[in-house]
Order: sequence, then C-alpha cells, then structure tokens
Amino acid sequence: MKRRRWPLLTVLVFGYAFLYVPIGLLILYSFNESRLVTVWAGFSTKWYGELLRNQQLLEAAWLSIRIAAVNATLAVVLGTLAASALTRYRRFRGRTGFELLLTAPLVMPDVIIGLSLLLLFVALQETLGWPASRGFTTISIAHMTFSMAYVAVVVRARLTQLDPALEEAALDLGARPLVVMLRITLPLIAPALLAGWLLAFTLSLDDLVIASFVTGPGATTLPMVVYASVRMGVSPQINALATLIVAIVTLSVIIAGLALRPRRRA
Amino acid sequence: MPTGLAPSPAQPALEPWQDPSATPYLRIERVTKRFGEIYAVDDVSLEIFRGEFFSLIGGSGCGKSTLLRILAGLEHPTAGRIEIDGVDVTHVPAYARPVNMMFQSYALFPHMSVEQNVEFGLKQDRLPRAERRARVDEMLDLLKIAALRKRRPDQLSGGQRQRVALARSLAKHPKLLLLDEPLGALDKRLRENTRFELVNLQERLGITFLTVTHDQEEAMTMSTRIAVMDAGRIMQVDTPTALYEFPMNRLVAEFIGSVNLFEGKVAGREGDQLLIRTRWGWPLRMRGFQPLVIGTPVTVAVRPEKLRLCQPADPVASNRLSGQVEDIAYLGDVSIYRLRIAPDLLVEMTLTNVQPRTEQILTWGQEVTVQWSPDSGVVLTE
Repeated sequence: MKRRRWPLLTVLVFGYAFLYVPIGLLILYSFNESRLVTVWAGFSTKWYGELLRNQQLLEAAWLSIRIAAVNATLAVVLGTLAASALTRYRRFRGRTGFELLLTAPLVMPDVIIGLSLLLLFVALQETLGWPASRGFTTISIAHMTFSMAYVAVVVRARLTQLDPALEEAALDLGARPLVVMLRITLPLIAPALLAGWLLAFTLSLDDLVIASFVTGPGATTLPMVVYASVRMGVSPQINALATLIVAIVTLSVIIAGLALRPRRRA
Repeated sequence: MPTGLAPSPAQPALEPWQDPSATPYLRIERVTKRFGEIYAVDDVSLEIFRGEFFSLIGGSGCGKSTLLRILAGLEHPTAGRIEIDGVDVTHVPAYARPVNMMFQSYALFPHMSVEQNVEFGLKQDRLPRAERRARVDEMLDLLKIAALRKRRPDQLSGGQRQRVALARSLAKHPKLLLLDEPLGALDKRLRENTRFELVNLQERLGITFLTVTHDQEEAMTMSTRIAVMDAGRIMQVDTPTALYEFPMNRLVAEFIGSVNLFEGKVAGREGDQLLIRTRWGWPLRMRGFQPLVIGTPVTVAVRPEKLRLCQPADPVASNRLSGQVEDIAYLGDVSIYRLRIAPDLLVEMTLTNVQPRTEQILTWGQEVTVQWSPDSGVVLTE
C-alpha cells in the first residue's frame, strides 16, 4: 500500500498555523505604514520610533524589567534551596506535603493567587504597617511565589542527574560543605540556574492578572499598559512593543535551551 | 610490623596479624549501621595493619560498601568506634579524616581538567602553589597520565579515568586509601593488568589499601588478607590461601572458588581423622581436629582440583567415588569435568591439561573413579 503523506502534512501545517500565524501577523503589522491595524499600507518602522517616544510605555517597561529581574533572582535562590531539599533528603517529615505545596502554584489559577496575595498584603498593612503601599515590592513578592515553583522543577531535574558521589568525593578530599557547594555543586548546576532565571524573568514580564491584583496607584507594569491601551483601540505601537517582547522571550528560550543541552561527549 | 628486629632463624617472621604485640593501624570496634529496621553493618570488628592490602568481599547488599563509607566519614555509624593510627575518628567529619576514597563511579569533577581534579584535595589543604604543582606532577607521572593533564574527564577512556581517580585519591598521601570496586568498570583484559599495577603501586607507596569488591578472583590476587561479609556480618578474615583452603563455613567455601559439598554425619574418629557417613551412604575420611560428637551433622568441602583419577582396584585409596562423566568444559589450561555420582549428586573435578593433545583424557559417559586425600578438604559444621 502506498503511504500517503499529505494528511499528516496537512495536520502539521494547520497546527503550526494555528500557533504562529497570529504572532506572525502581529509582527507583520508592526511594520505597517497605516494607523489601521487591519489595512496594509506599506512598510515602515515609524511605530517603533513612536514607541520610543511614549514615556508612559517606557516607564512601564522599565518597571516590569526591574520587577522581573528581582523576581527571577530571588526565585532562583528559593527554588534552588527547595529543589536541593527535595533531592538531598529522601525522607523527612512532611516531604510529600512540601513537594505538593511547592508545585501547587504551577496549576493554581492566577486569579486565586492574585486575590489571596492581595488579601494578605492588605491584612499585613493593617496589622504591621508593611508594605506601606502596593507596587514594586508587592508585585515582586507575588511573582516570586509562583516562579519559584518553576525554578524548583528545572533545578531539581538537574540535581537528580548529578552523581551524588561528586559532592562526596569533594568532601572526602577535604573540602568543607560550603566549599563543596561553591566549587562543585553550583558550577555543575549553573546551566539549570540560568535557565530557571530566564524562565522566572519571562513569567514575570508577561503576567497581567496577578500584578493587577497586588499593584497599587502609580505602579503600572507593561502588560497592564498594553491591556488598557488595547481596550481603547489598538495602536500599531502595541504591535511594535509586542514584537520586541516576542524577540526577547525567544532569545531567552534559546539561551535557556542551549544552557540545558546535555554536554557533548567525546 | 616489628621494626629493627631481624627475624631469628628459629622464629619465622610473623605477619602483623599473627603477632599479638603488633598495633593495628585501623581499628574498627563493634561498628553497627542501621537504616530503619535493616542492619547494613552488624557489630563488625576488624583490625587492619599498616601497609596491608585488605579486601572486603561479599555479594551485593552484604554491607561492604556501607562499611567503606563509614570509614570515609560519609555515613555515621549507629554504634561503635573507629580508630586510625591511634586516633579516634568516629566523630571526625569526612573532610578532616586522613582517609581518601576512590569511588566506584570515579566521581571525577566534570568541569575540571585532569590536573585540576588531582590538585583539588591539595588546594583544600592550602599547600603552597609550588608544592601543589610538584605533587600533581609526581602523581601524574606515577600513573603515567602526564600527557592527559589538560583533558576533561569526558575526553578520557574508562581506563584513563580510573587512573585519574586513583591519582586524585593518592595525591594527599592518605593514611588509608579506600577503593570501592576499583576495577569494576574496566573490561576484563584491562582489569587483569591493572590488578598487578595496583599491587605494585601499593607496595611502592606503602599506603594501607582497603578495597571493596564482589570479585573473589580480584580479591585473591591482590590482597594480603580478605574479610568475607554476609548480611552485615563478617564471616571470616584470613589470608587468601587460608580462606581458600580452610573456609570456616559453607558460605565462605562457596563464595571463594568452586567447591564440592558432601553432607553427612560424624560416625567416629581415628587419631586426627574424622569418619563421616554421607547422606548417600558411603563413608568419607577427613582430617579434622574439632571435638565433634558422633551424629553431628557436618559438610565435607573439597575443591575440584584436589580430586585425582584412580584405578577402581586401587586398594589404599580412601574417599573414593565412581560415576560417569556428564559435562566437560575445556578451558585450555585446565578442563572441568562434572561427574554423576548419584542421581542428586554431581561432583566437579579440575584436571590440568599437561599433555598437548587434541582429544580429552576423558570422554562423555565414561565410567571413572576419583579419589582425594583426607588432608585435601575441610569438615564444616555450619
């Protein structure tokens, strides 16, 4: 029987089209001359220029990047600690509970995370007076709660692959536990740390829901500005901005992928 | 070892373990390690002397690796005491012990070159740079891997990795070197060559070696003494010869080499010989000094190479069995024959192929009579 290839190819083409045509159109129209998003009027980069002159958007972008960086850094620290507790100690009291609670934010709806954190921050403000106002700090903390879970998953996968004898050998050769961590463990899991950092960074950069819950006056992140401006009519500037974000995210994913790629064996 | 005293001709030189006045270099006192309900190491005591090449052997899960890890300080014993060169190290952490270990997986640091791996331990001791370099060079030369110094572990073959691991663990001149299955990951040919090299290295450096292996042949060829372990306990500690010729129980007899076992009961004693009635009815006569009551169940253990062919009419021979040749395994230097003596008894015999011949001395189905001397086996009660 002759094997027919076209049904499979069709499915593949439709699948990719479904995923990437919208993004492709978005990128395409960021170079559109016309102000109307739906009409093609020739190639232009003028919207990128306008974007760079839009103070409100730029401020929001800068805030988002700062939040993303702080969030990613802290999430890597906490996520790595959690992952090493889970790989290092096979049995401790409450291990199953710890594992479940750690990974729960991966499946928890954003609305619930956002709302619960908002209630927490409000309660804290009333009892302790901290955080005095909601904004940079509260959004960073909120993002950390879920990105930490992603980091833990990535780092844990790497730690599990690590031969436990490596750390033991270092101890045996006279290295104290802290030296073992700095000279052996960290260099060996560095690719996972980098991948986790980038993952946490992008997760934070594009979060709208949780940030909207826990933010306060004056702290508007990039996704919030985008969302608000789209409701008042799409400007091609947003297309330009989205294109830049897609570029950054793609780059991060490629770097993370390269970092996690298994080492070539000679 | 007693120093400065030349052994007098009347008194042959004692090996340290035969000398009651010798001080052990490594003393393991009643060490127990429990994981939950399981006793991985169960009340083990051992004394190992300076310069020994000591082996722990046993099947998987017998506790030999756990004992090694306790000595390295990577596991903490539930009970017991460990002393190295007169110092109690039971509670000394792994990084402060004068002990180094060569891991079964070699555990070479993949992000460091060969020389960085070897230098790692020396750096932890904060040795001056010049001294470190000298020591690294010495080790790389000793193990003939100087040409590989800039390579990373993933650019090395299995044999080369083994050498780097050995160099790294020897670099600090430990008082005791622990080797976990040192030859386990090498192929057969390399393993045999490396055995001799390891022994030469150990004699040259004078470092006390303690290896763990499941390969009895490896332990026999390399060790001064061997401890056979089973279920967390030590069955017997002896020289390879004594272990092979005079095993203390069936387990040791079966673990080291091949052995024919004949079950029976003590039927009497004549001088230093025990008469045993086997469960197949025929009698055996073996040398045995144990004070055994008549009727005690015993097992006679005889190694396959102790058996000789004899004529059925030979009048002097005791311990004579007749049967048919059932299997022949020609190994070149020797041939192994399995003889059917009784429906439930096969006896193994090894004969050296002295004559260069293309035909076997014996053929399948041939009726033969074999015999062994009362001195060439042991009577076991366990």
